Amino acid sequence: MTHDAVLLLSIIILLTPLLSFLINVFFGGKLGKISGIIGTSILGIDFVMAIVVAFTKLVTYPDIHTIQTRFEWISLGPIKVVIGYGIDNIAAMMLIVVTLISFLVHLFSTEYMSDDRRYPKFYAYLGLFTFSMLGIVIANNFLLMYMFWELVGISSYLLIGFWYEKNSASNAGKKAFITNRIGDLGFFTGIMILYMTYGTFMFDEVFAGISSGVMPFNSPTFLTLAGIGIFLGAMGKSAQWPLHVWLPDAMEGPTPVSALIHAATMVAAGVYLVAKVFAMFTADALTFIAAIGTITAFVSATIAITQVDFKKVLAYSTVSQLGFMIMSLGVGGYTNGFFHLVTHAWFKAALFLAAGSVIHAMHHAMHHMHDHHTDPQDINNMGGLRKTMPWTYRTFLFVTLALSGVPLTSGFLSKDGLLAGTLAYANLTGGWHWIIPVMGFAAAGMTAFYMFRLTIVAFHGEPKTKIASHTHENKSVILIPLIVLSVLSLWFFYSPTPIDGSKGWVHRLVVQPASAVPAAYQWSFLLPEHAGEASPAMHAEGEGHEAAATEELHHEAQPAAHATTHAYLNKFQEESHHFHYIAMFLSVLIAGGAIGLAFMIYQYKVISADKLEARLKFLHTFSLNKWYFDELYQATVIAGTVALSKMLSWFDTYIVDGLVNLSAYITRGFSFITGLFDNHVIDGAVNLIANTTGFVGARLRKVQTGHIQTYLVFVLVGLLVLLYYFSINF
Amino acid sequence: MMDLNYITEDLIKSVGQFLPETALIITFLVAMMADILFKRSKHLTGYIAMAGLVIAGFLLYHQTGVNFKGFANMLVIDAFGQFMKYIVLLSSLIIIIFSFYSDELHAAHSRLGEYYTLIIGMTFGMMLLVGSSNLIMIYLAIETMSISSYILAGYTKEVKRASEASLKYVIFGAVSSGIMVYGISIMFGLTGSLNLFDINQYLASHQVDHLPLLISGLLIVAGFGYKISAVPFHFWTPDVYEGAPITITAYLSVASKAAGFAVMLRFFKTTFFGADQLLDGTWHLLGSINWHYVVAALAILTMTLGNLVALWQSNMKRMLAYSSIAHAGYLLMAVSVMNDGGVSAVLIYFFFYMLMNLGAFFVVQLVSNKLHTEDIEAYSGLGYRSPLIGVALTIFLISLTGLPPTAGFIGKLYVFTSVIDAGYYWLAVVGVLNSVVSLYYYVKVIRNMYLRDIESKEDKLVFSPSAIVIVFVLAVPTLIFGMYFTPIVEWANFSMNIFIGN
Repeated sequence: MTHDAVLLLSIIILLTPLLSFLINVFFGGKLGKISGIIGTSILGIDFVMAIVVAFTKLVTYPDIHTIQTRFEWISLGPIKVVIGYGIDNIAAMMLIVVTLISFLVHLFSTEYMSDDRRYPKFYAYLGLFTFSMLGIVIANNFLLMYMFWELVGISSYLLIGFWYEKNSASNAGKKAFITNRIGDLGFFTGIMILYMTYGTFMFDEVFAGISSGVMPFNSPTFLTLAGIGIFLGAMGKSAQWPLHVWLPDAMEGPTPVSALIHAATMVAAGVYLVAKVFAMFTADALTFIAAIGTITAFVSATIAITQVDFKKVLAYSTVSQLGFMIMSLGVGGYTNGFFHLVTHAWFKAALFLAAGSVIHAMHHAMHHMHDHHTDPQDINNMGGLRKTMPWTYRTFLFVTLALSGVPLTSGFLSKDGLLAGTLAYANLTGGWHWIIPVMGFAAAGMTAFYMFRLTIVAFHGEPKTKIASHTHENKSVILIPLIVLSVLSLWFFYSPTPIDGSKGWVHRLVVQPASAVPAAYQWSFLLPEHAGEASPAMHAEGEGHEAAATEELHHEAQPAAHATTHAYLNKFQEESHHFHYIAMFLSVLIAGGAIGLAFMIYQYKVISADKLEARLKFLHTFSLNKWYFDELYQATVIAGTVALSKMLSWFDTYIVDGLVNLSAYITRGFSFITGLFDNHVIDGAVNLIANTTGFVGARLRKVQTGHIQTYLVFVLVGLLVLLYYFSINF
Repeated sequence: MMDLNYITEDLIKSVGQFLPETALIITFLVAMMADILFKRSKHLTGYIAMAGLVIAGFLLYHQTGVNFKGFANMLVIDAFGQFMKYIVLLSSLIIIIFSFYSDELHAAHSRLGEYYTLIIGMTFGMMLLVGSSNLIMIYLAIETMSISSYILAGYTKEVKRASEASLKYVIFGAVSSGIMVYGISIMFGLTGSLNLFDINQYLASHQVDHLPLLISGLLIVAGFGYKISAVPFHFWTPDVYEGAPITITAYLSVASKAAGFAVMLRFFKTTFFGADQLLDGTWHLLGSINWHYVVAALAILTMTLGNLVALWQSNMKRMLAYSSIAHAGYLLMAVSVMNDGGVSAVLIYFFFYMLMNLGAFFVVQLVSNKLHTEDIEAYSGLGYRSPLIGVALTIFLISLTGLPPTAGFIGKLYVFTSVIDAGYYWLAVVGVLNSVVSLYYYVKVIRNMYLRDIESKEDKLVFSPSAIVIVFVLAVPTLIFGMYFTPIVEWANFSMNIFIGN
């Protein structure tokens, strides 16, 4: 396929789900159940096309960075806005992730949503969402990215609040939307800083501008700020601490939506954005990113341990895993971060769909038993599902292993590489940066623990309620997506060896982009090894800085014996390789220990969960209440806003109104005199203005008498007036 | 005495260049013959006319990049004319398609052979007018198109108001022509020539008396003003628009205005501005008369009157008639700046205006077919009775108002940009205020369609699928060009150069 064909097919891939949206939104009422079939088939076709494009890009043109096109959108004198779209390697992979998961979710929903009376609308929204998400994937400029970013926001709002009759659902939709807006404000600011400096929205042109040494407002600080601003957008979408609060609430949406949006695609958009514009982050911005990612990974893992709602556990787990990805990108592990995004997409979507399968079965059992009070999502109402829902259990267990990072799974490959990266980073930068791998490993251990807690409590043991014992395995439409996604979590899809992800095609194809940031403001270990002399970027900016940077480079550079056998792009990757086996050993040890602990507590009850809870009362409450973030925001941000508005209101009432009253009092004397004038002249004038338009129109209309003689007289009179006017004025 | 050989050579060379016009003449003859020979076939003449327009379009396409003066400098071919001729041909084609759906035409006559033939005749007149560079040629072209349009306006002759409209149109047209010819004769007396290029050279090299030149220019502009229905030469418009068949109303409001604006721009540029092309797109005014202000005054009068009177209309056709007067006012604003940016804005605006105005008229025609009325009250609940048509009409009306994300917004944006670039802030302010007023009467229709509680809501109106397709062929571009308009802007910028002497 030629480049043009790739681009044409990509735009078709983008627009196809929009077609599904349009069909379902306009003809949904008539289509009824058929809308699901239409939506699913359209996504199936989309998926096939995505495979064609992705394979063409990854197999035929792996070394061309981006197959892209650009065109002028707006041209108003000096203001020109150029936009476009393109496919690079990560976009090609994302195309498959988005279309396949969207397809499976469409398929899954034909059964899951079959009783819903707004069934066609659901498919319409799914189509809109997929369209927006694909737009983010193929955008090659900030402007389109931002537009689709907001489209994703609105479609996710629609989907989260899909059951808007429930107060909690519509509130969750609003919360998600508003929290995202806060991040988007930063995103927008970042874009505007870049546009004002470089006069373009195109990624490659902005990067070229940065590497030519031009800094926003002549200061690298502003480049860092632009980077952090854009990252703020990613924080909103990817639910990073402290903007993570919307994601757990978003579980109010239908579960297939959670699988699509809050596991695999929308929340991945933030990570994808950071990866896309990775080249523009300065060392300071990257440190910020790494710190946020680490905090997110750790904090949400601690919260996930105590949650009792099936989907909430998964939600916090998602936040935590997104934290891992962001952390990995922040420490410079571009490839690992993106790798984890892809593997996580499969197994987290599978986990959510399995949760959907469980909840669906619980609902049916409840319906069967005429019980409408039990919470179908509370894991303490489940238990023993292993027997009643064997296939759901098997797939769930397998993807839990993947998420826990057990060998032979994709999760092991990506998480292991990612943790090795944090060790390498800490070793290269030293100091407090060692906290990052420590917290990373701790979060990884907690991941294994809470996932097995969930598995054991929900699936193992005896049924805790009658409902749980009356559940039945779901239809194959629900199981097929589960199985497909589980199979995709096997290691051999990504690497020939189950222990080293860096041997696989992902590491070969997802090559870390060279940083555009001048060497003085970038980690030396992220710069190309041998580019010290050749890189124009390094010469472009400050000689003094360059000397320092080079010194640092030499300081870190140790003669690596095997450097000749491996073509390392930079110091960081070399160092990651050193730490690979240490990280692998540690992570297997920690995951194994955590799984063992979970079994001891929840399966064999060697350690009593209740006693543990009582002993660690404070920690438990803290975790159960999600570190009181919602309360904190309620007390600070929300209460602050309310207090501010109250204060302004007070100011208005007493100060402003007081002044007004005072002046009114003084004026009253005068106004008595002018009152008459007011009544007759001013009011008259106001009414006159208000009625003039209509009045003049009505008068003018009278001129149109219908008599041709009158018309002709008016024409001649008009001509004479014009003549007279212009002859005396010029 | 001119050399006879030279004249023959010029004629032969010119005919070779004026192929689209020739194609139209042939179409005219073929359609007439076919109408006589094949009396059974209902739409044959229409198809022949469409084929002729398409062929003319292809021949026009082959003139891309040609700059040519022919027939003793009476007619010119240039990029500007090409753009306007495309608009003329395209709107003629669309009108013929509309006519297939017109119940009122088919009720009045069992066969419409003459009708289509006359449309071709009128198209031919407009094509000539767009390219005219001689005052006599301009006059002849206006007459050619007018005579066809008089007959077309009264084509449903059993309908009283149509006959009345036609008669008024004829009388008004005759007087306007008289005024124009008077202006032409004064011009000839002043400069000794009828050719615009020669007049231009004369004005460049001689001091001409102020008042006669103003009188002559204004009288000639009155002739154009009648075609584009600029105030105070607009009086025929509401009556004729209301009385004529809807197809012809739509046709007059787009194609004949396009030709009028084309010849007006060409007349001003070629006659009153220096032949030296300045690089920054401004034109160099000859003489002491500030034509900018003359046209700006017409613009203000035209749009204000059009909008204010449109507020009071209760008949959709009449409302659109006044709205088209208002749009002529906006276009005159862009004409008044008289530089390249203004020309480009006129072209951009016209292209979008063609889409949205024809679309709105077609919806009016479809509704009138079903409800047999053009009363705005009759549109109550249309959004529910026929959702697709309701959506399409909403798009057209929003676009006519000039709100984003529609093409009408982009058109207005470029018009206002050109006016502001030229420094006429006051004119832009008047234009914006007028747009605000126009919002009222356009949205009134939308409100009727969606927000009025009526009982007939469930009484669905069913339109033929092909008609709905045609509506959306106009509505979808109206939306798309509101978001992605660069191709049209580039095309207009490519076409903004008006042929200048030698």
